[in-house]
Amino acid sequence: MLQIKNLHANIDDKEILKGINLEVKAGEVHAIMGPNGSGKTTLSSVIAGREDYIVTEGSITLGDENLLDMKPEERSHKGVFMSFQYPVAIPGVTVTNFIKTAINAKRKSEGKEDIPAAELLKMIREKAKLLGLKSSFLSRSLNDGFSGGEKKRNEIFQMAMLAPKLAILDETDSGLDIDALKTVAEGVNKLKSKDNAVIVITHYQRLLDYIVPDYVHVLSDGKIIKTGGKELALELEAKGYEWI
Amino acid sequence: MKNKLIASFLAFENQISTETDTDFHKIRSRAMQAFEKKGFPTKKDENWKYTSLKKILKNDYTLFPDLPKNELELKEVSNYFLKGIDSYKIVFVDGVYNPYLSETTHDGFDVCLLSSAIKKTKYQIVLNHYFNTIVSDKDSFSQLNTAFASEGAFIHIYKNKIVEKPIQIVYFTTDTGKDCMLQPRNLIIVDENSQVKIVERHQSLSAKKVFTNAVTEIFANQRAHIDYYKIQNDEEDASLIDSTYVQQKKQSQVTMHTYSFGGALTRNNLFFYQKGPHCNTILNGITLIDKEQHVDNQTNVYHQSPDCESHELYKGIYDDKATGVFNGKVIVDQIAQKTDAFQQNDSILLSDESAINSKPQLEIFADDVACSHGCTIGQLDSNALFYMRQRGIPKKEAKALLLFAFTNELVDRIRIPALKELITNIVSQKLGVELGMDL
Amino acid sequence: MPKKYTETELGQELQNKEYEYGFYTDIESDKFAIGLDESVVKAISKKKNEPQWMTDWRLEAFRIWKKMEEPDWANVSYEKPDFQGISYYSAPKKKPELASLDEVDPELLKTFEKLGISLDEQKRLTGVAMDIVVDSVSVATTFKKTLEEKGIIFCPISEAIEKHPDLVKKYIGSVVPRTDNFYAALNSAVFSDGSFCYIPKGIKCPVELSTYFRINEGGTGQFERTLLIADEGAYVSYLEGCTAPQRDENQLHAAVVEIIVHDDAEIKYSTVQNWYPGDSEGKGGVYNFVTKRAIAYTNAKISWTQVETGSAVTWKYPSCILKGDNSIGEFYSIAVTNMHQQADTGTKMIHLGNNTKSTIISKGVSAGKSQNSYRGLVKVVKNAKNARNFSQCDSLLMGNECGAHTFPYIEAHNTSAQIEHEATTSKIGEDQLFYCNQRGIDTEKAIALIVNGFSKEVLNKLPMEFAVEAQKLLELSLENSVG
Repeated sequence: MLQIKNLHANIDDKEILKGINLEVKAGEVHAIMGPNGSGKTTLSSVIAGREDYIVTEGSITLGDENLLDMKPEERSHKGVFMSFQYPVAIPGVTVTNFIKTAINAKRKSEGKEDIPAAELLKMIREKAKLLGLKSSFLSRSLNDGFSGGEKKRNEIFQMAMLAPKLAILDETDSGLDIDALKTVAEGVNKLKSKDNAVIVITHYQRLLDYIVPDYVHVLSDGKIIKTGGKELALELEAKGYEWI
Repeated sequence: MKNKLIASFLAFENQISTETDTDFHKIRSRAMQAFEKKGFPTKKDENWKYTSLKKILKNDYTLFPDLPKNELELKEVSNYFLKGIDSYKIVFVDGVYNPYLSETTHDGFDVCLLSSAIKKTKYQIVLNHYFNTIVSDKDSFSQLNTAFASEGAFIHIYKNKIVEKPIQIVYFTTDTGKDCMLQPRNLIIVDENSQVKIVERHQSLSAKKVFTNAVTEIFANQRAHIDYYKIQNDEEDASLIDSTYVQQKKQSQVTMHTYSFGGALTRNNLFFYQKGPHCNTILNGITLIDKEQHVDNQTNVYHQSPDCESHELYKGIYDDKATGVFNGKVIVDQIAQKTDAFQQNDSILLSDESAINSKPQLEIFADDVACSHGCTIGQLDSNALFYMRQRGIPKKEAKALLLFAFTNELVDRIRIPALKELITNIVSQKLGVELGMDL
Repeated sequence: MPKKYTETELGQELQNKEYEYGFYTDIESDKFAIGLDESVVKAISKKKNEPQWMTDWRLEAFRIWKKMEEPDWANVSYEKPDFQGISYYSAPKKKPELASLDEVDPELLKTFEKLGISLDEQKRLTGVAMDIVVDSVSVATTFKKTLEEKGIIFCPISEAIEKHPDLVKKYIGSVVPRTDNFYAALNSAVFSDGSFCYIPKGIKCPVELSTYFRINEGGTGQFERTLLIADEGAYVSYLEGCTAPQRDENQLHAAVVEIIVHDDAEIKYSTVQNWYPGDSEGKGGVYNFVTKRAIAYTNAKISWTQVETGSAVTWKYPSCILKGDNSIGEFYSIAVTNMHQQADTGTKMIHLGNNTKSTIISKGVSAGKSQNSYRGLVKVVKNAKNARNFSQCDSLLMGNECGAHTFPYIEAHNTSAQIEHEATTSKIGEDQLFYCNQRGIDTEKAIALIVNGFSKEVLNKLPMEFAVEAQKLLELSLENSVG
């Protein structure tokens, strides 16, 4: 599904990614781990198309389409979803309004009419229930004054609504207590299917207790230096990154 | 234009009154003399450094427009009023009171016309006590208005009244065949412990050039609460010089919201005089303009008593060749200890032809105060923009939504739900944001 | 129990404090009769053996000045100087042609010692080359040899006019034209001396260059002209200190400083101004009306740091014209006013090039009956893309008879400009003082501590040797018995 070949990327003329190779197939969960500054967030940002990053070499394809030619919103329409480490607050725009705007933008790109209100409402109720979100939450301004846990749940709620092919969870566990972590992980697990894939980017192993990866990759200094199964994560937790 | 105004003054005096020795006559004559001496301000005046009047003063405005030819039908203008709620209304069309669209009262308090108050003897004491007592004699536009002052809203809320219904003051201008100049004058007095919400709107309904020079005097007596909203035009050929003077007595609270949505030139002069301890003054402003529009907000808060507060937040979005000015002044007198004053001006420029000149000033003569100001000029947060695009919202729409969010902090402060809806609609329409559907 | 030292008491002490540098050096002085006309301008030029082009340049400036009016927009009030009541030239009579410091007039050396700038000590301090200007004439330049080896020119401007006419001709008036303002025009006509500095291409000046200005003679005006040029890729850090003795009449100081920073070059300009502020009644003191401006070309950087504690009236806006792409302008300022002092000071940042950056940090401390204003302009022109500015202006008030004012002008004409301005005004909090008292620090020391902390961001920008002195000055101008 996702194929990354020899990816090099810069920010402010500084090379951060130095040749990443990664293949993610439908139905798989991949974890990317690594110390701070290894390039984890850069990798997710480059996949999602953040314009501050310049790709100097290599390719990223989703299915048979070249992602690098697309704007961030076009990648989103093709099914790339990125859960942000620091979701942005947008005062005055409610969670509902925001998601409606996002869904309709996607439908428009597919040549479809706007989603009928009734259908949308039904879907919102369903997915909100899945993540244990109250209806009062849905009429609050997006991420405005949300707690850390609320922000992350809101991210997964949007993921549920947009039903992406590829979900990238960037440090989703940061700032969450164990209960919030479980809720978020459960949400992700419920959304997992044989047709979609998940990339979990994390510094720590604890999220991987709940979202169990098929593969674990270790990122260091802009390169994947080791790949293994879920046991690799445990090993990293026990020994730190230095032993590799 | 100055000469024409001077020449018209006598004709005007003759038209409204046959007696020449009334107090009003004296006030007007003195004001006319002051205007004659000072003339219109130029860019050399520090307070007019960024606003040129040349363009609007070159027109030949008529000072006495013909009566409106067509009666306005309510349905034509209903959009400009608050919807779905009861309210008092004082409506003027081309400077002339329109009883058909208005709803005044004398039941427990006065919501009526200045012209009728001037004529009735029972209002003389109140008028003598308040009228033209806090208008700056240095401001030539205000002097000019005083010279021609004859019509406008007169609102007097007596002691211990909470006025539930908002009061709407609306100035419409229509096509009278000529470019015209209007000089409405409002006088608002709110006595002890009373509360009122007032919405003042200037709206032109035609493409004719209109130049309005308005003055409002507001008196907030002890513990009075006033919520005042100004909605200003979105027609391109309308110009507005709007001067508002507010005197606050102890523990009073006045909130002034200014929404400027366009016009050839809009100039807002706000003067607040805190004349008793524990006053609270809140100034909110949204400016949203494009094309060649110009909006100049001047705020002057005089802290003249201890333990008072003032909070100002002005936000502006400028597109095309639009230009904005924010000139905020907080003056803290030596006696005004424990003042808490805050001033913030945030602007977003959407085009390289647009410009903002901001001058947030503090003049402080007391030592035990907490005063601060801030000013930012910038673009939209690139993180927020990327976040929205990641969720599939195209750049253009994402930008519009972010601009909407930028103004939302201020829209949120509106305490009349029907007005909040109205302003939300105007803002979202101007920004091209589709809203609606909340759970 | 010891008596508690209150803030009011401190305030009173502050008001009664006398100017510590107020002494008068008895040096025989060569002084012109008062008054100004073309013949005086010519005489000044002749006295200094200037070439004809310089004389003509001065005369033109004089003609321009005569047509100008004294500005009055600043937030200060003072009795306007009588320009015909000033002597426009005063120099120590023993015109020094000095090869070494030993030949400096011993009286003058004593002056320097009282100022705490003993030349002996300065010589020991490695890395400071000094030019000393007393009543407008340069009397000593140290470290000349070291500099000459690198091709660095650091000398009195009178000497530069003689020995490097091409450089002077090229740059003088190029940043501050004679027509710029009233005082700049006056200075251009009558300037007597000042420092000139040229750092050639690619040279990093290894030592700090320093000039001390002092007004000594009564009834004189001091009009120095400073011209600093860093050629491509060059670097220099330049320091300037000013003092004047105590006098009843007002002395006028109207200097012009022009700085040119070529591509990839950097100049750091630091100044500590401690002209006589007048006595506690507001009598006497220096009028300090100064024009300082720098132009920065591509990738160049100019940094102004100033500590202003002196003068009766200060009117000064060191400015940066950020002409080249990626150029950087910085302004760090502490202005302390006490007694009847008035200061209207700040900066102008004119963003003309793309990706230009500016930073303004201004700290004002007002005490006594003084008025302290910040006035600054940040301007981004239409074609300047990605300009960035950050400004912070903080005021601290001590006592209830002084004022602190902020007049920022912000003009943005480009959509990509990012400007942030913040200002705060506060007093030293009772709780801060109590906290210090509780930890055993007396009120006086606590105030010194707090003012110091308040000014830290700016003090840190000063070169080491200066920082110590500046800190001392701050304490002196506010506190009396704090050691």
